[in-house]
Amino acid sequence: MAGFDTFTERMARGVARGTSRRSLLAWLGAGMTGTAMLPALPVARAATHPDAARPEMKSGTPQDPGNPASCDYWRYCAIDGFLCSCCGGTVNSCPPGTEMSPITWIGTCTNPADGRAYIISYNDCCGVSSCGQCLCNRNEGDRPQVRPQSNNDYNWCLGTESSIYNCSVAAIVGTALDQPQ
Amino acid sequence: MKLVPLALVALVALSATLAARASERAMPGVMNPRQAHQDYILKCQGCHRPDGSGDDRSNPPMRGVVARFLTVPGGRAFIGRVPGVATVDLDDERLADLVNWTLHSFDAEHLPRDFQPYSAAEIAALRRNPIRLDRVATRARLVEGFSSQEAKQAQQD
Repeated sequence: MAGFDTFTERMARGVARGTSRRSLLAWLGAGMTGTAMLPALPVARAATHPDAARPEMKSGTPQDPGNPASCDYWRYCAIDGFLCSCCGGTVNSCPPGTEMSPITWIGTCTNPADGRAYIISYNDCCGVSSCGQCLCNRNEGDRPQVRPQSNNDYNWCLGTESSIYNCSVAAIVGTALDQPQ
Repeated sequence: MKLVPLALVALVALSATLAARASERAMPGVMNPRQAHQDYILKCQGCHRPDGSGDDRSNPPMRGVVARFLTVPGGRAFIGRVPGVATVDLDDERLADLVNWTLHSFDAEHLPRDFQPYSAAEIAALRRNPIRLDRVATRARLVEGFSSQEAKQAQQD
């Protein structure tokens, strides 16, 4: 044990002789600045933007313009959730292994191709844990939670075997009348 | 002779169109069936399903049931005061149209023979006093009354 004590003492005294308190401050300062600057270095960070690497989807018809794997797509005007197009499904079908909820949030979106309002049903796909890709939260026409039938912050996985939410689709269920008559 | 099948097709198409018109007209109290159907899609269908079927786990069915509420005491008021009807963001006229459309579309067979359609004024009065937490119990009580009321009706007939 005495040998260990001597060794520790010699090391501690060596460090104390060879360093100064000022140099410790200088090292600490440099370290903190360096850590803060590291994320600002110009290196590629593809991993932080998975959507950028995603291939573009197309409907193939000029009547349905845009990319259904992007939050900008016209049918997603009132959506709040992960896009099934990014999760192994499509704009109107659930990913394999999930079940589509028969209870849905319904709203209208304007199609830029013809300027008409279409009635959109936002069905949730349920039964598998959150997809986590392409979160999209646009909320047009969303109402506060005191109007539960018009609020999209609820989990709409109702009427399914499981109430676990995976992702959301946007299916057209009709065209809206031009204006209330 | 080739004209005969053509004329037949035209006749069938004409009668189908007339039948469709007739079914729209045969809804007393519904001023604008297309508007009412759209309001149903926008405000009701998300939970009550496109055909009003529902299920006993999530939303109770309306198809084949909803007009039976009109046969029991308090049922007519219940339809106007149930939260989904009373608190919907539609004006009284469109809401009265929508309620009458729902009764005709999903449960015409149970509509009482002397059914008076809901008016905008009646809907306005009912929705001012919506049912809140006791909606499930109220519904269950009214549904219990269906069978006894129908037995009474059968005796009268």
